[in-house]
Amino acid sequence: MIKFKHVSKKYDGNTVLDDLNLTIETGDLFVLVGPSGSGKTTTLKMINQLIKPTTGDIVIEGKNVNEYDLKELRLQMGYVLQNIALFPNLSIDENISIQLEALRRPKKERIAIAHDLLEKVGLDPEKYGRRYPHELSGGEQQRIGIIRALASTPKIILMDEPFSALDPISRNQLQELVLRLHKELQTTFVFVTHDMHEALRLGDTIAVMKKGQLQQVGSGESILSHPANSFVDTFFKNEHSENILVKDLLEHNCFSAGDENANYFRIDQNKPLSQLSKALREHSRVLVSGNQQKKQVISIDDLLSYLAQKGDH
Amino acid sequence: MNEIIHVFKTQGNDIWQALLQHIGISLIALLIAALIAIPLAILLMRHKKTAEFILQITSILQTIPSLALLGILIPFVGIGTVPSIIALVIYAIMPIFQNTYSGLTSIDPNLEEAAAAFGLSTTKRLVRIEVPLAMPMIVSGLRIAMVMIIGTATLAALIGAGGLGTYILLGIQTNNNSLLIIGAVLSAVLALVFSGVIRILSRLSLKRLGIVVAATLVLISGAAGYRYLNRDKATITIAGKMGSEPEILINMYKELIEQDSSLKVNVKSNFGGTTFLFKALKSESIDVYPEFTGTVLESLVKTNKKVSHNPKATYRVAKSLLKKQYGMAYLKPMKYQNGYAVAVKKSFAKENHLKTISDLARVSDKIHAGFDPDFYQQTDGYPGLKKEYGLNFASVRTMEPTLRYRAIAKGKVNLVDGYTTDPELQEYDLVVLKDDKAFFPPYQGAPLLLQKTLTRYPEIQAALNKLAGKISTSDMQKMNYLVNMKHEKASKVAHDYLIKHDLIKK
Repeated sequence: MIKFKHVSKKYDGNTVLDDLNLTIETGDLFVLVGPSGSGKTTTLKMINQLIKPTTGDIVIEGKNVNEYDLKELRLQMGYVLQNIALFPNLSIDENISIQLEALRRPKKERIAIAHDLLEKVGLDPEKYGRRYPHELSGGEQQRIGIIRALASTPKIILMDEPFSALDPISRNQLQELVLRLHKELQTTFVFVTHDMHEALRLGDTIAVMKKGQLQQVGSGESILSHPANSFVDTFFKNEHSENILVKDLLEHNCFSAGDENANYFRIDQNKPLSQLSKALREHSRVLVSGNQQKKQVISIDDLLSYLAQKGDH
Repeated sequence: MNEIIHVFKTQGNDIWQALLQHIGISLIALLIAALIAIPLAILLMRHKKTAEFILQITSILQTIPSLALLGILIPFVGIGTVPSIIALVIYAIMPIFQNTYSGLTSIDPNLEEAAAAFGLSTTKRLVRIEVPLAMPMIVSGLRIAMVMIIGTATLAALIGAGGLGTYILLGIQTNNNSLLIIGAVLSAVLALVFSGVIRILSRLSLKRLGIVVAATLVLISGAAGYRYLNRDKATITIAGKMGSEPEILINMYKELIEQDSSLKVNVKSNFGGTTFLFKALKSESIDVYPEFTGTVLESLVKTNKKVSHNPKATYRVAKSLLKKQYGMAYLKPMKYQNGYAVAVKKSFAKENHLKTISDLARVSDKIHAGFDPDFYQQTDGYPGLKKEYGLNFASVRTMEPTLRYRAIAKGKVNLVDGYTTDPELQEYDLVVLKDDKAFFPPYQGAPLLLQKTLTRYPEIQAALNKLAGKISTSDMQKMNYLVNMKHEKASKVAHDYLIKHDLIKK
């Protein structure tokens, strides 16, 4: 568990982070989302002490970060950077196992771990292990960036807008990879993004930030259905264009087959998205009317996955 | 070209020695500079202000002319290899430091952040990330430094550290282009070779590089240590000025001393100029060197008396002043004089019955002279000569020292100035006219050493005084001719003379 207690950060009188109180549960995929200048990256970098708070405390597993040996603390954390930052002078194997090297693990073990991880992300270890970063595509490089953060089986993995520089296809694949890895490893992921679709798609818990202040924390569902304030509402609503109609969700396969006998709230397939989300705040599932053949039901999950998909285009 | 091959054949061994000396000095200087500059840059990579301050200092050091730097160092560390290496190190630090520093500080901050976030220790970051990333810059710094060192090391010859510069200086002084070319080309080739070797070394991993550097260090210090341990305690060093004549003389000194005593003699030929040798003697970097009486009075001792034209008186004055002012012993002079002379072609002398300078007055209107610019201007040269002998030549032209010999050979002039032992006098079939009014100041060579050296090794005196009154001007001229024109080895020429005159046993 990571706890921020009254944490503030000031640079030359400018408040970047203002009295942040936040709890990140162990095993959570926690997303910090907000526009630029919201303090989300600052918050992330305070966890591994790349940035130190001006006031307040950060507590990890019941112990104040100041009491940890800095090196030990960081060796227990994985870190994925926005611009990937693979070490150009090291081979892929060496890049992946750099933290293990610092932990003085034997070379054989390091290579074995690196190869396991390469296989996990669908890259042939024999082919990729000995290559150098510049020989890989952007998407492949960030895959390495992600597994480099996993090599020492850290308890916490920090990701700082890792996909913002990638093309939509790679981004989509890597988002899936993150979800898969999180499911497999069950460790704490803290993920920073400015893209609310990405936040909705990935986050178990989402923290919305603005100008150094926390706006709302909760599941994607609860934030969508009960925005804490007008900022959160518009930040997310911004994306619900009136031009998008309910039937667009059907075309994108974002629905499920309804129960024959159940009684659903109905919505016309030509209604705009805003009405659908309004309806979903009151009903867990709504039936799309206007198509008599099948019972097509849309839940809030379907809406989220549609929005996440849409964000890729 | 043929001449170059000839020089290689006769002096190959000496050239090889000079090359090795050059490599040795350069390598040691580069290693020391790298061992200072690279760790310094690493230490200061996170202290921008201090680093910039150091950069300023190294840049200032860089602007000191190398000759001036050598001059500044002599009073502190003497002459020879040590000051040369110190000077070279001072020059080499700046490019290595600057390149290493900018290499280390221009690493992508994202990589630095990643390395920090992974919890890599400072050492680990340095060894695994920062230094390898800065390597191309460090290597280019080393290469710049190496090329500079090899070039500047040619100046080491000026202060007696040897190396290829010896041949360049010798080539300039004796106008021997083949020596000049050998020295210059070899040092250029050396710079290229080393630059290539450094590039190859830069591809090695840090660990292997460490092994190579350590091995080189062990090898160099081993060689130095071996030489130090094997150094005979009773060794004296005899040095000579640039050129063939001092080299022949000091080789004679060596043979005479080694025959008559148990001392070992270390010969350093082409060691440098007058002031330099004199300082070296004072600081006991060398023990003996041959010096001319005229030079002693003109430039070494303080005197307000007019230089006498009597050779014996000159020697006496020089000897007593050296003893009084510097505590030096000046042993007995040899016979020959190496002073100014005026010479004409043998055929011209015969036709006009010329034997002395006085005889020239008769044929003044036929004389077309070619003089060295110095001789033409100095009062102890042509102006004084003209007055003393009442000469009035038809024409006088000034020209470069070597050109005037060619000019007289081709008949463009019919009278030239020169030094009495110049081998060209023989080469071009010239005859020196006798200075019958003893106008030119006497220049007799004699061994100069510190009084205390003589007290410690009194046997030197007897050995060297065997040459007193020996070696005529024409003997010296012939020997110079053999070494300069026929490229015979100075040591062989010296040995042959000593045998011929029964000065040493066969």
